[in-house]
Amino acid sequence: MQGIIPILRMGDILLTTVHVELRDAVAEGFQADVLSTIERSHVSGLVIDISGLDMVDTYVARILAETGRMARLMGTETVLCGMRPEIAATLVRMGYLMEGVHAALDLDEGLELLRELRARP
Amino acid sequence: MRIATEDDVILVRRAVRALAEAHGFDVFASAALTTATSELTRNVWVHGGGGLAIIEELANGERSGVRVTFRDEGPGIADVARVMAGGYSTARSMGLGLSGSRRLVDEFDLKTVPGRGTTVEIVKWKAT
Amino acid sequence: MSHRRYMTTLKLDEAELRARRAFCELTEDDLQRLRGLRPLAEKHSAELVEAFYALLLSHEQTRKFFPDEATVRRVKRTQSEYFLGLFEGRCDLAYVEDRLRVGAVHERIGLSPKWYLAAYRKYLALLHSKLGSELAPADAAAAFQSLQKLVFFDVTIAIDTYIAANIETIQRHQTALRELSTPVIRVHDRVLLLPLVGAIDSLRAQQIMDAVLLRIVEEKARCIIVDIAGVPVVDTKVADSLVKTTASVRLLGAKTILTGISAQVARTIVQLGVDISTMHTCARLQDGIELALDLVGKTIVDKDRPRGAEGG
Repeated sequence: MQGIIPILRMGDILLTTVHVELRDAVAEGFQADVLSTIERSHVSGLVIDISGLDMVDTYVARILAETGRMARLMGTETVLCGMRPEIAATLVRMGYLMEGVHAALDLDEGLELLRELRARP
Repeated sequence: MRIATEDDVILVRRAVRALAEAHGFDVFASAALTTATSELTRNVWVHGGGGLAIIEELANGERSGVRVTFRDEGPGIADVARVMAGGYSTARSMGLGLSGSRRLVDEFDLKTVPGRGTTVEIVKWKAT
Repeated sequence: MSHRRYMTTLKLDEAELRARRAFCELTEDDLQRLRGLRPLAEKHSAELVEAFYALLLSHEQTRKFFPDEATVRRVKRTQSEYFLGLFEGRCDLAYVEDRLRVGAVHERIGLSPKWYLAAYRKYLALLHSKLGSELAPADAAAAFQSLQKLVFFDVTIAIDTYIAANIETIQRHQTALRELSTPVIRVHDRVLLLPLVGAIDSLRAQQIMDAVLLRIVEEKARCIIVDIAGVPVVDTKVADSLVKTTASVRLLGAKTILTGISAQVARTIVQLGVDISTMHTCARLQDGIELALDLVGKTIVDKDRPRGAEGG
């Protein structure tokens, strides 16, 4: 189910906000949307704002982490921002450490982190 | 509560969260119970061919808590030990969901008969 | 309304009530016998209450609770009600709550349980002689047996009020201790410090992670220094909880620096095979602070000493 979660373009960064209750089809459509947008737009950074998510289970975590890995393969760094503290705690306690995903506290921090990542050789 | 469609998964999750909050669980405990519920409800829906979730309030003298039981009549789990040793981030979806859920709750009981079905019971107590 | 809370704290429910009555061998017959003695009790209550207070007022340790006439009058009235309560022929949860209320009052004014409980003896002595002089020997003996059962039942409730008050004090202390045990301090802009002191069990580890994450969001921290010099034992569980906390802190976009690592702890961590490659670590807190400041883009610079006479 594509086109549900809006993806904005700011310069050469993509910004997207995920709302609550990600249904499977929506999540998968989201992933497809992101990847096709990256393909079309030659962006160097992607920020996924998940401050609206009040629950992230392994399914959602997997979709997010995969999206990040796929984006990187296409030359785009991904930053996940706005994770709620109780979600961070729950994921880690389950054993899902989400390694390989960059994270930032909020949108500002996320954009700053992307800048830093792109400045690295 | 019936688990037959994706909507049901969302409804069960919401019901458990509402109950946890009504019981005064803090945000971390509520997130833990809700996430474990989500994992186990998904398992019933995706792997168990549908089933039931039974949500109960518990009161044991000095403490209160919530118990959720997930029941399906699906294929069951052939090698429980291997699935439960799901480990960190690299396991297949069901394994990590099961072993991960166990780490989020206070009591966890799994009964499965290959070919007949699976029942998982979880309990989370409110911190005193 | 502390006495109502006590019912919950002490788990005084129907089941508990039945168990106590059974243990005191207190039956409906006993309660009915006591009810039958009510007219007798009413006739002599003033006299008995007077004698009761004569004891309390004649002893220095208990006299101080009745500083003036007004107080004495008031408590005699209350005591009278209490006394007659023994002859109502009931011993249900409402009765228990009533007795708890009386006990709670005594606990609150600071009357030590030793005097409070010993005073019941006076009650029994006074009643024994009264029953002996007013009833035939067989009836007096039976009445006294029933009375003793109910009075001892009351004594168990009296002790309960003191126990419940203590339990509640302990619970308050535990809460305070929990709050004190995760003191996250803001040492600089977006840099937090958590000096851990004392043993860390799995419950405390969980509380630490939760408290740290909340503070990081609150302070928009980029870095948290966790000093473990004050943790006496660092075993697999503790090391694992530090790893988990670091992982969750990372998901909020912040870094963790572990400091206060002694040679012993370093040895333990490596030998246990715990992977702390994702954590920044330092031996001394000072190094940790400097590293943290560096991570947020700050440096500590020596002030130049001014030339000339302004020494010191």
